[in-house]
Parts: sequence; structure tokens; C-alpha cells
Amino acid sequence: MSEHSEIPAEGGDHTPVGSRRRFFCWVTRVAAGLVGLGLAIPLAGYVISPALKRRAQSWVEVGQLDTLQEGEPTQLDYVTIARDGYMEAKTQKAVWAVKHPDGAVTVFAPLCTHLGCGYHWDATDRRFKCPCHGSVYDVTGEVVAGPAPRALDRLPTKIEAGRLLVMYKEFKSGQKLPVEL
Amino acid sequence: MKQGPVYTWLDRRLNLKSVERTLLDEPIPGGASWIYVFGSATLFLFLLQAVTGMFLAVYYAPTPDHAYDSIQFIEEQVTFGAFVRGLHHWGASGMVIAIGLHMLQAFLYGAYKPPREVMWMVGVVLFLIVMAFAFTGYLLPWDQTAYWATQIGLNMVGTVPLVGEFLMKVMRGGELLGALTLSRFFAVHVLFLPAILLTLIAAHLFILRRVGPAGPWTDERAALSRETFYPRQVYMDAVVMLAVFAILSSLALLLPFPLTDKANPSDTSFVPVPEWYFLFYYELLKYVHGPLEPLATWVLPMVVILGLFLWPFIDRNPVRNPIKRPVALVSGLLFLLVVFALLGLSLKNLYAVPRVDPALARGHALFAQFGCVGCHRIHGEGAAIGPDLSYVGDTRPERAWHVKHFRDPQSVSPGSFMPKFPLDDKQLNDLTSYILSLKRTP
Repeated sequence: MSEHSEIPAEGGDHTPVGSRRRFFCWVTRVAAGLVGLGLAIPLAGYVISPALKRRAQSWVEVGQLDTLQEGEPTQLDYVTIARDGYMEAKTQKAVWAVKHPDGAVTVFAPLCTHLGCGYHWDATDRRFKCPCHGSVYDVTGEVVAGPAPRALDRLPTKIEAGRLLVMYKEFKSGQKLPVEL
Repeated sequence: MKQGPVYTWLDRRLNLKSVERTLLDEPIPGGASWIYVFGSATLFLFLLQAVTGMFLAVYYAPTPDHAYDSIQFIEEQVTFGAFVRGLHHWGASGMVIAIGLHMLQAFLYGAYKPPREVMWMVGVVLFLIVMAFAFTGYLLPWDQTAYWATQIGLNMVGTVPLVGEFLMKVMRGGELLGALTLSRFFAVHVLFLPAILLTLIAAHLFILRRVGPAGPWTDERAALSRETFYPRQVYMDAVVMLAVFAILSSLALLLPFPLTDKANPSDTSFVPVPEWYFLFYYELLKYVHGPLEPLATWVLPMVVILGLFLWPFIDRNPVRNPIKRPVALVSGLLFLLVVFALLGLSLKNLYAVPRVDPALARGHALFAQFGCVGCHRIHGEGAAIGPDLSYVGDTRPERAWHVKHFRDPQSVSPGSFMPKFPLDDKQLNDLTSYILSLKRTP
């Protein structure tokens, strides 16, 4: 609103001028600002909220310990119920598990650390190989060849009464260090 | 006030000053007044509905599979979700009130008289569009109230002779109230109606600027003060908008508006209650039965709508001073009296405070104590092993049956695996009272 208004327009001889005019103008702005803020803050939160929500994580049983062979990576498939907004979706996940001589188990996240392709275990070469860009990992998950920036990501595991439980996570691809999504 | 460099820069190119003058220096005959705020309050509410509606659409899914869940998601999971939905819900009511007051002001001030007949007629159509918004928006949550209220609304359209049946099917998108109904109501609510409304608001405002505001009802009063729209009328409008926003925010925060159960087409005993602004009409339909029913369902509404629309041509008295228009004033008053009497009656019937029987609370406590929710579900809470008890008071209203059943479930319901619970006679009665209270309408 402008300075022109210090001079009342033709036909507006009762139009307020001076400090009275400034008062009305000020109140108008405050009212507009309050309504604007009162809307902008909740609406921003409303839109942003899903981006700030962490995925609910829980332990999921992925298999029986005795089905794993020592030193032989095994792909374990399991079904989990994932919340997708207001829907519940059954999703199938697969992780790679390696049993150690002491009975401990290492579980690798199923995605290559380079760009997130699914890799597989080559039993003859005894290497994890990614078909996309040729990243190669050894049985401990360390990078042997290819563009992968870091070793395979390990998932938290626990063993309860012979059952293997995993907390599934996803990590940012292409980073030197694992960054959880 | 100083003008920023951006404004000056733009002004040099776009010549904004003259637009500003046109917009703000419009003369208000007789000077600014708090009585003129209802139009801008209505416009503000429309903008608020548009903004909150856009944001609701961010999460809403217009299919029977997901509509209810997506609204529940907004209510429970989304930050400020309940607030945004609350604003939209209460904003709808606010809009009906604001339009009502705006029309009342225009009526009292005779602002529909020449040369403003077209502005009034466009206004009446705007009012009808808002009612169409209310009707189509009501179905979208896809809960029991939404479903059955819409069912009734559509059936009322069906009573119109000759075309009614066909019209109803078109509105419903076929034989069933279902997926096709929901998606067309959604499209109409969020795309078609806003387009029509925006066009008509533009027309309404265009006419306002062509003929000017009506001002006081006598030329002498209008001549008393001459003042421009800015700053005092703008200030009054802004204060009222802030007040409206404050009221709606408080309502949205303090009075949550929960969903009823998810729409269940097979549950024909659900008694829906329309929004308060349709209540007078709902009440009217209770008194008219049999062959006279079409009179109430469509003849009367048609007459009232046409009467409103053509009012500038019905009331040909050129005087605007309400005191000198007894016929118009009395007929307006009578109309309001009938509407509010019906609304009052309806509210009285609906919200007559039911006497709370202390036995219900004791029965409820027993229900919790014996872990009945382990098998029975009430409004979505509890396991679905035994029958759902949400409305058992409607489906099985006999007290004796329940008493007998609690004593020995298998005696009245052979094969039931419900266990016997150790209840004394008083507890039996309390629990039965509670169970019988589980009804749709208290």
C-alpha cells in the first residue's frame, strides 16, 4: 500500500490521513501476518511430517540358524509387513547371512554399496558380485574390485532359541561411510 | 509507508500504481462500516477452504478402499493433520454462516434492488454452489455418516418426477453408491465446483465494481460521509478475518471431529445425522409423509430457491429503507423464523441430554474387568473372535435374552464357545444395561 494515499482520493474527503491512517494500515498488516503465520506453520509441518518420520524398526525372524552352513553365504527370504502411509503392504525382503565357526552370524544388507543393485554370491569364485557395475566383495563383505566405495553394509542381528533375527535397514549408496536411511 | 525497491522496479514496468488506486480508492458511500464485512469474511473463508482443501488432498485417496484410512491417517499420523482437517470442517460451517449473514445484510439494506439485481442473482447461485460443496464434501471421509447421509440425499433427488430417477443415477454414477460415486463426488468437489465458484466470484466482484457498493439505504445518509475502501474498510475486513481465523483455529484445536465407523453398505440400520445447516430441512421431512412427500423433498426447495433467485423482480418496491418495506421484511422474517424453528426442534430432538444411568458405567467396568475385548470388538477396539458388539443394542434389544445368555451362553446360543462368567444378579443387570446401550442413537 502506498504513499499516494497520504492525499485522499477525490470523493474520499472522510478518508483517514496521517497517524490515524498509519494505525489502520498497521493493524491490517498485523492481522494478515497473524493469519499467514497461523496457516504457514501448521501447513508446513503437515507437508513435511512424513519426511521427518523414521521408519519403525523391529526385529524380524529371517530363518533358523541350523539351516546355515558355516562360511557359506545364504540368501534368506522373508516377508514383512511394511506400513506405507495409510496402507499396509506385505513386502518380500532378502538378506545374505554367513555363519562363523563360533556360531555368530553376519548378515549383509542385500544392496550393493555402489548404487544399490542387488548382488549375488558366486560360489565358485567365493565372491559377492554385483551385476550392474562389476563391484566384487569377499565373504567378509570387503571390497575386492569395482567401483563400490565401502564394504557391504551389516545389519544388526540377534539369535534367540536357534532363530536368527534381523533389524532391516537401508543405507545411502555411493558414500564412503554407511549412512542409514 | 515506504515502498520497496522491488515494488518501484515492477511499478515502472507494469504501472501498478493505477491498479492500486483502482483497487483501494473505491469510494464507499456513507463511509466504511462493520456491517459491510460479511462479503469479505465469506471470501476469506472460501480461500481458507481452498488452501486447507489443497493440503488435505496431499494425503487423501478418493477410493472406497483407502478414503477412510487416508483420513484416519491425516487425523492420527500427520503432524497438524487433525488441525488442517478441523479447519476445513469448521470452515465449511463458517462459510454457511458468513453467506447467511451476507445475504441477510444485502436483504435488509435492499442491496438487491436496481441496479444490483444481477449481483444478487449471482450471489444466490454462489450460495447454491457452496451447498453443493457441502453435499459433495460430506461423502469424502467415507464413514458411516458420510455414506448414509449421501444415500439419503441421493434418494431425495430420486423423488423429483420424470427426471429424478435418471438424475440420481447420474449423480451416483450407476446403480450403487460406491467407487464411482466417491470418485465423481471427489472430482466435483475439488475440480468442477472450484472452477465454477471462482468464475462466479469473479463475476460477483466485477459487478460490485461496475455498480459500486450499495451503501446506506437513503441518499442523505450516503452523503454524510465519503471515504475510500482503503484504509478503514480494509482494516475492518482484516480484523474480522483474523477473528474468524481465531475462532476456527480454536474450534479445530478444541473440538476434534472424529470419524464414525468406516462406511458399511450392508448396515442398513445406521441413522445418519446431516450437518447442522441441513438440519432444518431434515426436520421438515419428518413432518411430511405419503403423497405429500415430494412437496417437501423438491417442490418446496425449488420454490424457495427460485423465490430467492428472482427476489429482485418479486419485490419491486424501489425504497431501500427496511422500515418502509414491511411486506418484504415480514416475509424475510417469517422465512427465517420457520428455518430456525425447525433447526431448534431438530437440535432439541437430537441433543436432548440423555439421563445417564449409573448402571451403564458399572456395566462398562465389568466389561473391562472380565476382558470381554479379548473376543469382542466395539467400534474397532477388541478382537474379532466373537460377534462385533458395536451396535448389539440395536441388533438384539431383548434384555431377558442377554441375562440368560450371560448366565449360560450355550443355553440361548448353542455351540457358542463363550465362557460362563461368575456374575451375581446385580452385575448381570449392570452388564446387560451396558450391552443394551451399545446403539447407533442413544
